[in-house]
Amino acid sequence: MSEPEPFFQGFLDDYFAECDEHLAGATRALLALEASLGTTGTDRVLIDELFRDFHSLKGISAMVELRPAEQLAHHLEDYLGAIRDRKVTLTAAGIDVLIDGTQRLEQVVNAYRSHQPPPSIDDVAARIEAIAPRPVKPDAGPDRVAERRAPEPSLPRWRCTFVPTRELLARGVGVDNIRKRLTEIGTIIDAVPHVRPDGTIAFQFTLETAAADAIDALLSDGVVVEPIDSTAVVGDAPGAVRPPGAGSTAAPTHIVRVDLMRLDQLMQNVGDLVISRSRLTEALTRLERHVPSSEWRSVQENIVAIDRQLRTLREGIMRIRLVPIGEIFRRMPFVVRDLARESGKKITLDLQGQGTEIDKYLIERMLDPVLHLVRNAVSHGIETPDVRIANGKRPEGTITLSAFTSGETVTIEVADDGRGVDAAAVAARARAAGLPVPADTLDGSALLALLCSSGFSTNDEADRASGRGVGMSVVKSTVEQLSGTVTMTTEPGGGTRFTVELPLTLAITDALIGRVGAEVFALPQGAVQEVIEVTSSDVRLVERNEIIPYRRGALPIVRLARLFGIDSAVGERFHVFVVGRGAAAVGLAVDRIIGQREIVVRAINDPLARVDGISGATDLGDGRVVLILDPGALATFVRTREARAVGAVGDWGRLQA
Amino acid sequence: MTTGASAANDTFIVFSVAATAYALRSQQVQHMEMIDQVTRVPNAAPFVDGVVFSRGQVVPAVNLRVRFGFERAPYDVRTRLLVVQADARQVGLVVDAAREFVKIPVTAIQPPQEALAGLSGKYVEGIVSLNERLILVLNLEHLVNFSEPLVAA
Repeated sequence: MSEPEPFFQGFLDDYFAECDEHLAGATRALLALEASLGTTGTDRVLIDELFRDFHSLKGISAMVELRPAEQLAHHLEDYLGAIRDRKVTLTAAGIDVLIDGTQRLEQVVNAYRSHQPPPSIDDVAARIEAIAPRPVKPDAGPDRVAERRAPEPSLPRWRCTFVPTRELLARGVGVDNIRKRLTEIGTIIDAVPHVRPDGTIAFQFTLETAAADAIDALLSDGVVVEPIDSTAVVGDAPGAVRPPGAGSTAAPTHIVRVDLMRLDQLMQNVGDLVISRSRLTEALTRLERHVPSSEWRSVQENIVAIDRQLRTLREGIMRIRLVPIGEIFRRMPFVVRDLARESGKKITLDLQGQGTEIDKYLIERMLDPVLHLVRNAVSHGIETPDVRIANGKRPEGTITLSAFTSGETVTIEVADDGRGVDAAAVAARARAAGLPVPADTLDGSALLALLCSSGFSTNDEADRASGRGVGMSVVKSTVEQLSGTVTMTTEPGGGTRFTVELPLTLAITDALIGRVGAEVFALPQGAVQEVIEVTSSDVRLVERNEIIPYRRGALPIVRLARLFGIDSAVGERFHVFVVGRGAAAVGLAVDRIIGQREIVVRAINDPLARVDGISGATDLGDGRVVLILDPGALATFVRTREARAVGAVGDWGRLQA
Repeated sequence: MTTGASAANDTFIVFSVAATAYALRSQQVQHMEMIDQVTRVPNAAPFVDGVVFSRGQVVPAVNLRVRFGFERAPYDVRTRLLVVQADARQVGLVVDAAREFVKIPVTAIQPPQEALAGLSGKYVEGIVSLNERLILVLNLEHLVNFSEPLVAA
């Protein structure tokens, strides 16, 4: 296939979106069907749902001429038709075939999406044919009606334009439904999808029928009908044909599709505004003493108003970017089912808070980490039924995948009621892998640190089988790149809970500003647990690492001046940002804190300027770049320095290594 | 600019680094600015002076003196930052001075001579003699390929 042109690409985007919907629907129905199998007889409603999903998939795949998907959907539809018509009985083996077929269909669509050659469907198709009665001759989708019935030239033709919307779809009115109803009224001469200027898609059918009254019934379902002036004479004058694409063809729709790039641009504009506002504030502050205080008051009031309005504007744009986390969650049931079956385990997957909305950017990046945590829970968390029974548990394990937001943070949790992490085994394996292991009892964060060390999980056979090479270290680094944190609590015999906390949005955030020598750095406020003032005499040297007393324990500190090679005359007193929790806590020492600001995060994209320990850049109002520290990377550096018990001054180069 | 003109003449920005004149095609240079406030980036490559904002983007400032194997010199009033666009990248080039905007006939650009010893050569696309002055025309793609050293060791 040649490179898709923008027109076709827009159409394809809708195709993929619709595929996702139907595949998700099919997945849900199949899993429900499997659960109900053998209890109350086959659920007719679910069978009908499945039939409709595959029927739609067949139709839309035919429209984009993705033949393997069309054929596979057709096979699946035939089999379900046979079940629905009670020609065959649905068995467990049948459900397996349906599930495999659905997954293969998803692979075919995904391959198409990423311009890869599609996987073969022959084996799955053969399996379906083996259990299903011989299917009728595959039809050619939307063209079949035209083939079957020769158009009669004397009939008037109509242009029927249908714009699918979420509302209509919710009422069961999709393009397939419209096509079917049009077929009942007359003959579809052709069917062409059009992408309209606003990005929505319109399906244009040319219908030939004498029953003009019957078409009217479609008007209430968003179909716009226009007579076509053709060889067949219609009563209307040609002038009555409304121009396509004009306002009159707009079906009632309240949803617009927006390119993420445009939203990014808008967010960037708001970011510029925030910076201009801080410049203005700075300039005005210099004027304050020259202005009578009565005049100044109104200036001040306006600044406060602008501040508030900017915040509202930014939150409004941010909300547009939010999508339900269900996009990630709904991929998990198949994964759990397959892995559970392979390992002979019984597992219920409990999804909570699927409606929780997070930034689209986070959705794309969090899929693999969540997938890994869920696979981990199945492979390492949940015990086999006999072990569970022996330990007095229900034979069926439960994995809970949940999400919720609080304030500016979104929390994603993967919890299982399995065996918990065996601290002794982890310690033994870490030692065997040559990793340094603390001598004292390992709490959740110390265990997590070991599990996340590179070199730990990759040696593990089970992980390699289940984790697709995405180890815990990748989970952790992905989350930290997104300015988030991962924590773990575990109870031997009771289960394990991974908690991922992420900022709801990344573009604008509150930050603490610190000075080191002549340099200024910003640190995301969400990452800072506490700011403490330290006196030089409080600092102790332990194996040439600096530590300070902190909450009845000790806190390792790293001086940014030394780490970054900045000249700074360290005073008697300096400030320390405490980042990380519990045993993972580290203090980042700066000369002093300048203040707290709302900052606009600018990405550093060029590889020449991208270094570990720096997550981005910002402008505090004077046009100068201020680097934003990446507390996760810095804390990791300090911890590995400690663990390796290497020299006193961590140099920046080692962080890179 | 008409296509006819661009076939015969290309417009170039001429700038100097360590007393040598270089030229880049003007359409490759997004803009040129006075340089002040460069923020140092810890552990960046030695020829990177730091980062600056250029129209809202964070852009690395590459010191062409260092990149070409000369000593770094303090910025002065003539120092300029040329922000260039190569592929999807935006890179700032710190040069000693940049003041000229010239048209050079395509036919006047000669391939670089073997005599240009000591250079790995690829980034010099050609040589122009303009009013008795020698100007090296640079190939931007090779110039911003920072993965390999430009100057032979």
